[in-house]
Amino acid sequence: MSTEHGHDHHPRPDSELALRARALEALLAEKGLVATDAIDAVVELYERDVGPQNGARVVAHAWTDPAYRERLLADGAKAIAELGFGGAEADTLVAVANTPTVHNVVVCTLCSCYPWPVLGLPPTWYKSPPYRARVVAEPRAVLREFGLELPDEVEIRVWDSSAEVRYLVVPMRPAGTDGLTEEALRALVTRDCMIGTAVPRAGSP
Amino acid sequence: MSAGAGPRLAEVDAALAGRSALPRDNGELVFEEPWQGRALGMGVVVLDRTGASWAEFRRHLVAAIRQRPPEPRESAATAYYAAWLDALEALLAERGLLP
Repeated sequence: MSTEHGHDHHPRPDSELALRARALEALLAEKGLVATDAIDAVVELYERDVGPQNGARVVAHAWTDPAYRERLLADGAKAIAELGFGGAEADTLVAVANTPTVHNVVVCTLCSCYPWPVLGLPPTWYKSPPYRARVVAEPRAVLREFGLELPDEVEIRVWDSSAEVRYLVVPMRPAGTDGLTEEALRALVTRDCMIGTAVPRAGSP
Repeated sequence: MSAGAGPRLAEVDAALAGRSALPRDNGELVFEEPWQGRALGMGVVVLDRTGASWAEFRRHLVAAIRQRPPEPRESAATAYYAAWLDALEALLAERGLLP
């Protein structure tokens, strides 16, 4: 997979900065400070070690494959592992599905436990004391501040994460998306949709 | 291929939090051109190999960002990783590893 320079398929001529980066890499290799394949390994690891698009992939797959959805809701950790996601802290990932009558929202009241294998790093507000306290006490008001107005008849369930259990909200597939491919659906699933502070909209983001 | 080449991304993020944070879009790292990813990888491997701390690198990076205002039409990611190269060279020079 790695070639001599690890990136031999440039569509365009290299920019000055690209040349500079390559010159530095060559110099470091010459001094024995770095090996090209060590850099390849880091880049590959970090590109995979990413944010909410993993979760979006899980949700879009659940939207288009009812059997997968069932497996996801039955055992979240196992189901995300099917798509290649997981890791130590995903051992007990619980997926909770929104319905027309139930809306789920996730918090960690103690600290900032978060399902990072599917969502990446938590946003700052997720870690903030006001969110952690208020989403439990007055979820409807907090969601309204996020711009999410839920009808009174929708029950809001707040899930408190812990070191042992992490939650992933599976939002409802928006109306008017029947013609979309799974790949196009992924783009509708934002991080906040999977925390529960937003819902996907057709035509967003 | 070794998976042990340096720290987890989350640790790098934690070390660089604030104005030297890695450019992201909705949580994803932003690399507009391959050299930007190479620059990040080089930094990680150089720190790992030299034993330099992320705090030390961050100091160079913050200084480089400050000294290098974005050029017109230059994206945030390009400006950031240009400063990253400056910082890496400064760290190597300080340690006598580069002329």
